[in-house]
Amino acid sequence: MASAPAGTKPLATYRLPLLQAIAVILVGGLTFLIARLSAYLEVFWLFGLAFGVILQKSRLCFASAFRDLFLLRNGGNMRGIILGMALATLGFAVIEYRAVPTPQAGALPPLAHLMPVGPQLVVGGLLFGVGMVVAGGCVSGSLYRMGEGYVGSWVAMLGVLLGLLGATHTWNWWWTHTSMDAPIIWLPGELGYAGAVVLTLGLLGVCYLLTYWWELRAGPRPNFNFTAPEIPPTSLRDVLQRGYDKVVRQGWLFLVGALALGVLNILIYQFEHPLGVTGELSNWANRAAALLGIQAPTLVGTDMLSGCLLVFETRAGVLTSGLMLDGGLVLGSFLAAALSGEFAVRVPRKPVRYVQSLGGGLLMGYGAGIAAGCTIGQFFSGIPSLGLNGFAFGVALLVGAAAGVQIIRRIN
Amino acid sequence: MRELDVRGEICPYPMMRTVELLRQINGEDLMVITDHPPALTTIPWEAAKLGYEADLQRVEGRAEWRILLRKTDRQRSQQEIMAELAQKVRAAQAGGGA
Repeated sequence: MASAPAGTKPLATYRLPLLQAIAVILVGGLTFLIARLSAYLEVFWLFGLAFGVILQKSRLCFASAFRDLFLLRNGGNMRGIILGMALATLGFAVIEYRAVPTPQAGALPPLAHLMPVGPQLVVGGLLFGVGMVVAGGCVSGSLYRMGEGYVGSWVAMLGVLLGLLGATHTWNWWWTHTSMDAPIIWLPGELGYAGAVVLTLGLLGVCYLLTYWWELRAGPRPNFNFTAPEIPPTSLRDVLQRGYDKVVRQGWLFLVGALALGVLNILIYQFEHPLGVTGELSNWANRAAALLGIQAPTLVGTDMLSGCLLVFETRAGVLTSGLMLDGGLVLGSFLAAALSGEFAVRVPRKPVRYVQSLGGGLLMGYGAGIAAGCTIGQFFSGIPSLGLNGFAFGVALLVGAAAGVQIIRRIN
Repeated sequence: MRELDVRGEICPYPMMRTVELLRQINGEDLMVITDHPPALTTIPWEAAKLGYEADLQRVEGRAEWRILLRKTDRQRSQQEIMAELAQKVRAAQAGGGA
């Protein structure tokens, strides 16, 4: 074990057992309190905690999945996410079938993440793609890194909130000028469920192979999934110790995290609606602005849509299902980071990083606002919803991320 | 030995700044200090591409790691480098905790 390197001042020190105790008591206490308050909120709280634990343990970062295709020519993370979406596609199809057994009749499954494929979606995806690379994490990525103590992610989240506020006040222009007449393409409505699932899985399969084609052009990549031969355990205590190390102290494989998130998405859709994080954030931004006298306009078109739409809702009180999900994400990540000894207050020392985080956050917030969703709501939930909007948003994210890589290469 | 302190940096600058410095220093040893766990996998591999071997050590009681990068002439297959790195990363991750 090494001590602090000579000549460098530690940025953060903490006593590990104390921090771990605080994390366990805080999360455990809130879990208990929310359960007494409402069983409904408790469900979302537990989904949120699981969300945070999964993202932190597997470092399930959508920004890196897109970015590293260009920065490192590494498609490993993207492949994990594609497999997670393929899994969710199967579950979503079953849930949608139960809601709309005859898809060709023209009805859309309620609460599925379906959006018109119009300029609003594409511009939102481009801006989001640039923003997530510049800020060093997408919205869900910034939320879980907030829980790990990354100060830059807190700054990015401030940018996201401001961006969502801006999107709220320009949504009506985008909707009436660009996307009002654009079609919502829900594949089962065109092809039936079997056709829609086959086409979605087929497109995901093509994307999967394309990532290999892209990275093999630059030579083979490492695979940290390699498992070293293990000495067989010698006692039950040994078995438990190793299990604890693997699950709590060490990181999980990216693929494990992506599949777990796919399962979580099916479960939460089964309970109410697919995963999404930005709708709730927009509500906070708009409520905070309302306190300063800036009232959100009536958002045209949103009553015809479903997904991570911009919200301004004062009647529901402060304790909403979205708060449970987003708050649970941050605290679930905090718990996982504390237990693995990975929590630290990380303060960027270069002033330009704060500008990057805030600016990237603004772009992400605005993009997610006009496109009704982020890498989670519009992409990871959009593609399994069997709409074409998820794929369109994904392509826009890819192009945006490529541009973002050019930007971060020029900022040092 | 050169030292590079990238603590506090946002993703992916710990890796980017390490690679940039490795390209400049012409085979000198480099000690990178980071508090960014994803860099434990990206830095050693990007360094391996430039002919460096990595040793990872956790700073006791803190979410900080020291990555020692040394130029090597040892000929190893990619499979060997991968296996070695995977083991070192796991050991460095489990090195913390109570």
